[in-house]
Amino acid sequence: MTKLLQVSGLCKAFGGVVVADKIDFSLSAGAMHCLIGPNGAGKSSFFRLLLGEHAPDAGTITFDGDDITHLRSFQRIRRGISVKFQVPGIFKALSVRQNLEVAFQSHLSGSQLEQTIHEMLEFTELSHVVATPAGVLSHGQQQWLEIAMAVGVEPKLLLLDEPTAGMSPDETRKTGDMLNELNNRGITILAVEHDMAFVEQISKRVTVLHFGSIFAEGTIAEIVDHMGVQEIYLGTVDDG
Amino acid sequence: MALFQSLFGMLYQFGDTFAFLVIACAGLAVIFGMMGVINLAHGEFIMCGAYVTASLARVGVPLPMAVLAGALAAGFVGVIVERLVIRHLYHRPLDSIIATWGISLIATQGVLIFLGSTMQGVGTPLGSVDIGGRFYSIYRFVLMGAAVGLLGGLYLLFYHTRFGVIARATIQKPQMAHALGVNTGRMYGLTFGLGAALAGLAGGLYAPTMTMVPTMGATFIVESFVTVVVGGADIFVGAAPAVAILAFIKTGLTAWYGQLFGQIGLLVTVILVIRVLPGGLSGWLKGTTR
Amino acid sequence: MTETSNGTGSSQPRLAFLRRLEGPQTMGRGPLFWGAAAVAVMIAVVYPLMADAWTVGNTAYFMIWTFMAMGLGLVWGYAGALSFGQTAFFGLAGYTYGVLTLNFGAAYGLTIVALLLSVALGALFAVVIGYFMFYGRIQGVFIGIVTLSVTLVMETFMSQTAGPQWRIGEARLNGFNGMSGISPLTVPWPGGDLVLFPGPILYYVLLGLLVLCYLGLRILLNSPFGNVLVAIRENPHRVGMLGYDVRLYQMLAFAIGGGFAALSGALYTAWGQYITPSSMGLTAAALPIVWVAVGGRRDITATLIGTLAVLYGFQALTIYGSQYALVVMGALLLFTVLVAPQGLVVAGMNLVARLFRRAQR
Repeated sequence: MTKLLQVSGLCKAFGGVVVADKIDFSLSAGAMHCLIGPNGAGKSSFFRLLLGEHAPDAGTITFDGDDITHLRSFQRIRRGISVKFQVPGIFKALSVRQNLEVAFQSHLSGSQLEQTIHEMLEFTELSHVVATPAGVLSHGQQQWLEIAMAVGVEPKLLLLDEPTAGMSPDETRKTGDMLNELNNRGITILAVEHDMAFVEQISKRVTVLHFGSIFAEGTIAEIVDHMGVQEIYLGTVDDG
Repeated sequence: MALFQSLFGMLYQFGDTFAFLVIACAGLAVIFGMMGVINLAHGEFIMCGAYVTASLARVGVPLPMAVLAGALAAGFVGVIVERLVIRHLYHRPLDSIIATWGISLIATQGVLIFLGSTMQGVGTPLGSVDIGGRFYSIYRFVLMGAAVGLLGGLYLLFYHTRFGVIARATIQKPQMAHALGVNTGRMYGLTFGLGAALAGLAGGLYAPTMTMVPTMGATFIVESFVTVVVGGADIFVGAAPAVAILAFIKTGLTAWYGQLFGQIGLLVTVILVIRVLPGGLSGWLKGTTR
Repeated sequence: MTETSNGTGSSQPRLAFLRRLEGPQTMGRGPLFWGAAAVAVMIAVVYPLMADAWTVGNTAYFMIWTFMAMGLGLVWGYAGALSFGQTAFFGLAGYTYGVLTLNFGAAYGLTIVALLLSVALGALFAVVIGYFMFYGRIQGVFIGIVTLSVTLVMETFMSQTAGPQWRIGEARLNGFNGMSGISPLTVPWPGGDLVLFPGPILYYVLLGLLVLCYLGLRILLNSPFGNVLVAIRENPHRVGMLGYDVRLYQMLAFAIGGGFAALSGALYTAWGQYITPSSMGLTAAALPIVWVAVGGRRDITATLIGTLAVLYGFQALTIYGSQYALVVMGALLLFTVLVAPQGLVVAGMNLVARLFRRAQR
């Protein structure tokens, strides 16, 4: 199978703090993969490196066959990487509709744009609040709006940083259904997640980051049984 | 001898520019560094200090006392301005800048209305000294000393006093400081007052060398801005090296091409610096030492 | 749900851009608004018939400034970059217009060429400054300081050009006193050139230009470009993460704003036939901020109305002395920021809209 994302030997340190230590990581097209690890394990930094918000000290990132290590963030997005942040990154003063317009208008226009907006509103069940300023939506709705924005650009790879943070169990389950549906449509998904129940709902394979390097990788069952993972990560697994 | 002469002349110019930049920007830098507010009425606090100093000196108050009084008067006005205006705008930093511009307009034109277009100044004291065949104003040496003293004093204040520790804690973690029982509102009030007093001090110190007009504050503004931009957000780390570099550039350009190019050179430096070092010198210095 | 019409597809695509005259980025829509706007323009058209030439020329003077104000509204209110130095582009264009017309004369429509070149140069200068600022990723406060420093340094520079060596071709820059004797706009006309001295003809030209620019800006602001600008104002990071080059958009917005300021500058110079360094000074730089803040920066209509109202009030107060007028301007700015940060005109328009909606129920 072809690799959509191939990371080799990725290193990054801020002064003495190593956030990425020779990370080798790859994702096949169509995968649905979760990234877990205790706080400070380097998950967010790994995302920032993928997104081009940090320049790596060493290593390469290859996406869809091209070396993107030295591209700027917006250039990477244009090649088909999309992201949803942990804190909803939406335009609070603009209406839901305008949020979606800004997200999609760079590659769609006219009736195609309308159709995509309509589809994404249906998909995220936000049709009834289309004219509402995004800032007054509920927390869950804001998360879904951002998922809609990230998905409507038709990415090849969707990065999700704790997509269910702050959601109710009900909202979490619904988000899981959404992501499974998106993955079935062919979008490769890489998610950082704390909630193990949610990880089980959406993902088949899991990678564990610890101190900026890959500690373990495998199926959910393998990871849960992994002694070392239990040691570094026990509290959170039990809580989840 | 000629070499010594021109070297000393250059050094004197450098010291003079250095002193001007330090003294002019200190008040602006403290307020910006601590509160994130650019005080566009900075020049008017300077004017306030200069006017009070000149008025008192003319009625016979010794100059050092008059300068001190000028600084205190500006500081007092600063505390009032903070109370009435700035305090309401902490969560809107851009609006607080606009508000200080409104204050600046009112102050400049108000002084013009009440005190006229010019005021009698005081002459430069202390005369001049002959060094190697050229005359140098002694008062300029006093200003250089004052600048060094000011830097040292601010360092001591912010790193070795209770006020300084609390103040720095308040900038870095306002909520935390608040939770620890620090009266953050009073802290901001004092800081703004301190910044205004430092501006007043600048006005007082330079009063004997300048013409007293309501717009005199504008003379200081560009240089102060430039220093703050090049220094970056952390004033304690960035400002002093920024002043040194800028003084060097300005002295060089002024010596070779004249006063005007000194100022243009500063501006070009700033524009290049923001392109290369977006965080200013302090961002860069911290980035490499972390 | 599927029946919800989004207003696309049906009407002729050739005039599709006209639909952007209304949209979420601009206040005012529907027949009532456009009716009121038409009445306002009609009043403006017949007004010179009832007023003397001086008053008409004076109103033309007010209109000259609105271009700079609308440009600042775009840069500050929509794109979120608070520029304190629009007067730099104003002054540059004013001097450019002066130098060009003093050198090449006013015949053959050369003043029009000079006007266009001045605006282009102003916009180009804004591109240069904007490039260094936005590609250097500086933010909020620093944009204000850098732009203000630029205009103040330019004022200092022009003030020191008194000597006879400071000349560009035929044009002496004249230091603090500025350049004078500059040709007004002159339109080639069958049967003799039409010289646009302050008076009804210049008034109509400016009115036409103003309507054109206003409508053009409305279309631009409701276009995808405008959408991205307000999104940048709200959350630049997210805009970058949607694949837009934020720096480019900010620089373009800044260039357009600079172009509008330059248009004001060149028109001002043509109107008064002089330009001085103080047009780039601290006080001059503060005034556009007052107009736009008082009117309301986040809506182009509010900016326009507010600017005209403040200019009128300012001139009325100048009778007592410009220093009194400036004190009032400072107080007005302070009042707006503290009491109605969204702008007095916007606050008023919101009130009218609310009352209107209540009356409809």
